[in-house]
Parts: sequence; C-alpha cells; structure tokens
Amino acid sequence: MGKKKKRATEKVWCYYCDREFDDEKILVQHQKAKHFKCHVCHKKLSTASGMVIHVLQVHKENVTKVPNSKEGRDSTDIEIYGMQGIPPDVLAAHYGEEEEESPAKVAKIEIPSVPLGAAVPRPYGMVYQPQQVPGAVPARPMYYPGPPMRPAGPGWPMPPPPRPQQWYPPGSVPPPPHLGYRPPQLFPVHGMGMNMPSSSPAPPGIQPSSPAMPVSQPLFPVVNNTTPSQASPFSAPLPVGGAQQPPNNSFPVGGNNSHSYASGPNTSGPSIGPPPVIANKAPSSQPNEVYLVWDDEAMSMEERRMSLPKYKVHDETSQMNSINEAIDRRISESRLAGRMAF
Amino acid sequence: RASDKRIGGRQLTLRFPSSSSTLPENTISDGPRLVIMATFGAAANANTNPNKSYEVTPSPADSISSLSFSPRADILVATSWDNQVRCWEISRSGTSLATAPKASISHDQPVLCSAWKDDGTTVFSGGCDKQAKMWPLLSGGQPVTVAMHDAPIVDMAWIPGMNLLVTGSWDKTLKYWDTRQQTPVHTQQLPDKCYSLSVKHPLLVVGTADRNLIVFNLQNPQTEFKRIVSPLKYQTRCVTAFPDQQGFLVGSIEGRVGVHHLDDSQQNKNFTFKCHRDGNEIYSVNALNFHPVHGTFATAGSDGAFNFWDKDSKQRLKAMSRCSQPIPCSSFNHDGSIYAYASCYDWNKGAENHNPATAKSSIFLHMPQESEVKAKPRVASGRK
Repeated sequence: MGKKKKRATEKVWCYYCDREFDDEKILVQHQKAKHFKCHVCHKKLSTASGMVIHVLQVHKENVTKVPNSKEGRDSTDIEIYGMQGIPPDVLAAHYGEEEEESPAKVAKIEIPSVPLGAAVPRPYGMVYQPQQVPGAVPARPMYYPGPPMRPAGPGWPMPPPPRPQQWYPPGSVPPPPHLGYRPPQLFPVHGMGMNMPSSSPAPPGIQPSSPAMPVSQPLFPVVNNTTPSQASPFSAPLPVGGAQQPPNNSFPVGGNNSHSYASGPNTSGPSIGPPPVIANKAPSSQPNEVYLVWDDEAMSMEERRMSLPKYKVHDETSQMNSINEAIDRRISESRLAGRMAF
Repeated sequence: RASDKRIGGRQLTLRFPSSSSTLPENTISDGPRLVIMATFGAAANANTNPNKSYEVTPSPADSISSLSFSPRADILVATSWDNQVRCWEISRSGTSLATAPKASISHDQPVLCSAWKDDGTTVFSGGCDKQAKMWPLLSGGQPVTVAMHDAPIVDMAWIPGMNLLVTGSWDKTLKYWDTRQQTPVHTQQLPDKCYSLSVKHPLLVVGTADRNLIVFNLQNPQTEFKRIVSPLKYQTRCVTAFPDQQGFLVGSIEGRVGVHHLDDSQQNKNFTFKCHRDGNEIYSVNALNFHPVHGTFATAGSDGAFNFWDKDSKQRLKAMSRCSQPIPCSSFNHDGSIYAYASCYDWNKGAENHNPATAKSSIFLHMPQESEVKAKPRVASGRK
C-alpha cells in the first residue's frame, strides 16, 4: 500500500512483543494478561513496574524482566501502558518497518543478522543496545541435598546431580531403604543455607525448552495401582510462551484471583480477604451480591467449634484451667513414656 | 440462648414416614440470616441422600472429622467429634455394598484426623486431646499413644519411605514420630497453625493459617523446599498432593480450588477454579481426594455436594447432587471403586445452627462410574 506514514492512527501494537491489535483497549487487556501478570498468583497489574512491586512485596521475589517479551523489550524500567510510553525511536522503527515491509521482505531473509546501528530497523531489537540479560538464572534452593550431604548421609541413596530450580525429577531415585538409623542422625543438618525462594523468575525465554524436562514419570515405581500412564498428560505439549487463557469453558477457570462480585475485597491490594467477622453477615439486599457462608478468616471451623465451653477441659476458672492442663499434660506424657494401654 | 431462639421460634423439623427415621438437620435460623438449608419440602428425605449412596451403619453420634480407607483392603475408619474412632469392613458384590462395624477406640476429646500405615495393619488417630494413637486393629491390639503436641492435632500422615508418622497441630509445628520412641524424631516449626497436610513421598505439603503453603522434600525434611502464599485469597481449608508429586491442590473457604505445580517451569499450568457455589452463596471446599488410578480428583464442600474433576483437561467430569448437610471429609478406597463421604454439620454456620438433638451424621459410600472419574481428553476450545 502506498500509504503515507500515518499509521499511528491505525493499528496499535504492543511494545513488549510487537503484536498488533485492532484497538487500544484490547492491547491493554493483552498487556495485562501477558506482560503485567504476576507469575506466582496470576494477579493482573496495570503496569510492568506495578507487577514488579507486587511480586516483590507479596511474594518477596525480584522480577527483572517483563514476561513474554522480546529480547531488548523486556526492561521493567520503561513505563508502558497501551501505546503510551513507547520511546520515539522504537515507535518510528516500528512504523518505518511497516512501510518497508514489502520491498524489505526479501532483504530481511537474505540478511541473517544486522549489525548494530544498521539503517534497517528490525523488530528484534538489533538496532538498540540489547538489554543486559541477567546471566545464569540465580541459584534456586535445591530440592534435594547437594554434594556436601554425602558424607553426612546415613546411607541414603544419592540423588542425581543437581539441576537448578527443579522440583525433584521423578523416576530417578529409588525409594530409600528402611534404615536402622539412630534418630539423631536421621535428618542430617546441612550447612547449605537453603533460603526461601527470593530470586527472580526464570526468564520467559527459557519456557519453550521446558517440554524437554522429564517431569512426567512418578518419582519411583509406585507400589499400588497408580500407573505411570496417569502422568502422561504432562507430556502434552506445553504452550510456548505460557498461554494463560482458559482452554475451555467446562471449568469456570478463574486463571487469576480477581473477584468479580461486589462485596468481595478490592482486587488491587495485597491478596488478603476481608477482615475476620465472627458471625455470618446477612446477605445484602442487592441482587448480585455474594457472600461467604464461612467467612471467618481468623479461625477454622474446627477451631470455632473447639472454642465451645463444653470442650474446655475444666471450665471453672482460667487458673484451674492451666493447672489442670499441666496435670493433663503430665498424665499424657507419662502415658507416652510408659506406653500404657488404656 | 441460640437453642432457645430456635426451639421457641421457627425451628422447622421435617418428619417422614420412612424407614430411615432420621430427622434431617434442617433448621431455619432467626434473625437476618436467610433460610439456606431448609428450603426443601417433603422431598427433604431425598435430599439427605440424593445420590442414593449406601449409608454406613451405625452412624456416629456426632460429626465425622475424617475418613480413611485402608491402603490394602476395603476397611474404612472414621473419626468423630464424639471422641470415637470407628472401623467398618466393607464388602462388595457387583454393584451392591455391605458394611459391618468391626471395632472402635476412644480418645478423651474429639478426634480430628486419621491415617493408615502403608501395610494396612495399623491406624493412627489424633485430635483435640493433643495426642495421636496407634491402633494395630488388624491384629486386634490395643491403642497406644505415640505422639503429643501442645494443641490439638488436626492432620497426620504416614510416610512409607521413612516409616514415620508426621502430625500437624494448631501449636504451629509438624512433628515426625518414630512410633517406638517417646520424643519426636524432628519438630518443624510452621509459620502458623497447621490446617491440613498431605504426603505423597517424598512430597509433603502443609497448609497453615494465614494462607501459607509450605512444601517439604522428605529427603530433607528440616528445610522448607518452598513456601508460598496460597493462590487463593481466602483461608486454606485442605491440601492434597498430586499422585505424581509434581504439585498439589489447595481448597479454600471461598469455594475455590487452586492447582499448583512445584517446578518453576510448569508455573504456566497453574490455575484456580470456582466450585461449590450456589447462587450468591459461596461454600467452603472441605476435602480434595485424588482417584488412585485415574489421576482425576474429587472435591467435597460445605454445600453438601461432591464433584469429580480432571485437572489436565480442566473439566468437571461429574457434579453430584447436593446433600442436605455439608460434607466435611471424604476418601477413595485403595482402587478407587468406592468413594466414601460424610454428611454432617461442619460448623460452617457456627454454633447457632447446630441442634444436637436433631443433628444427624452419616457416612455414605458412592461407587463411581467410570465416566465420572476417568480422565477425558482436552476439549478443543476453538479459541486462538
């Protein structure tokens, strides 16, 4: 098409992944679902920086890259919302590239890589300094004890060499034999200092390689009826790029935890429910209001039931309670010690 | 006070000229609370057991807190708020079932949890008396106390690979017990009260108050492998490990279940779904059980319904009819041919809605058809 460079009023596109959309509303939805979504709890935020802050505050993790974004477009520093915030050179490059699409197609194929700063703008960010990708993914807590464990182990079979961020690859370790261990040695203390997961998520670019990981077999041959074939759904092709949309309508799949009902908590804050209320609230007269039948966040149903006076050991006074509890404890301990049947 | 209100007020008890001769726990509460459970008329008898499940008799005198099937035989154990641990032998002939009560033991306080040893000879039970007992019931032995906590024990599991019992308590600890010793082999501090735990060796997952979910690799049980905040925004009610140990299910009081994979590369397979909701009422999900053969799972809720789901194709396989009472606990037998569930008050509406005089606690057995529990292929969505 011999149009003039007026494309800004036509298709909108996503800075992070270069996809095009018919209108900005859909673009924003796309960005929220693909780029501003917390990988831990699937909460959709409104910007990349908002998502980073959320993951840091709520899940205590550092996010350095925007998920599902292309190389060079994954910086969390750039403030993008819809079409706003796109640096002018990227903007120009995108539309300039649009213009040159037809004649440049052949040229693109022939030129395998573009030297930096080349005049031909490319969608893969070759024109721009590529973002400094963090190197090897920071070490995650190892699932199983690593090499230092070996001398301390009380004869347990050794796990295979560590693979970062791995839940234990199933099928690779035989069940530990029943040991005649002495209790102090049972759980050897290790100085590996495994910490809470606090490192950044795997860069999205790694995701496509995940189908190669052998995650489908059970850990060891299961004695009972469960068969390895039941795990075979895991070998189904994983959607590249982590497609998040619910595949079918049979599950009312939330996918994220945003609540859609009026009386629910605000979805923008940290993911905590409403403050605990002792009795069930009366349902509002508004037609679409929903309510939790059990809404006491502070205690479970069993705890509530146990708070009844009849379950107190002796409900005279609290002083008596503590004395009686101490007596009961001693009786129980002596039972345990003496292994008395009763 | 609450009972006065009800008896003097508008308590509705429904009587039926039927052989079951039980008064269903249908009460209309006073005050601003709407009628929720007792909206059924003469058909209420059908609603106590709308799925026509087999009822295990004699039924416990008070609510049932846990159901456990032997891993080797069709022997069912139920623990109850009447302080008893009961055991029945179940026999199947074709599509009919028969049950025979075998034995029972008692605790000093309500019993909240149970677990079988993997060889099917011994049952463990624990509860509000802060103790866990080991009952070698197959040999007819007497129970002995094997564990103690500072607060009620709410869940427990036998770890076959290590021959240990793990107990979780409101005293914010997990304790691992070699049943031959008085002191625990290991005590693990938890961030908050334990509400539920599940073992699929070597995976142990614990759900605590304040929505913590902690995962342990039992080959290194002193270290938390992973701790996350529940993907569900409300109080954790139950957790169950995947049979292939790659993740776990979590259910909350807000009618929602989360499917969580442990490996970071599989996080895109995590999702949550809503369930056990009726109109504008959201019920708690009380139990999650995987079918031992098909890898599908069942959920049971305070709405009195149980459903079968397939997490891999993200489908609900079957929605069973709602019973008139909540289902607080459930279990599959060792080969998945029997699904046992309890129908009794779980306190989801507080003490005001409990009438001990008319409350009925039942244990039902359902024999799932293959279509209800067999995994189905993913439905083509037609969406890009």
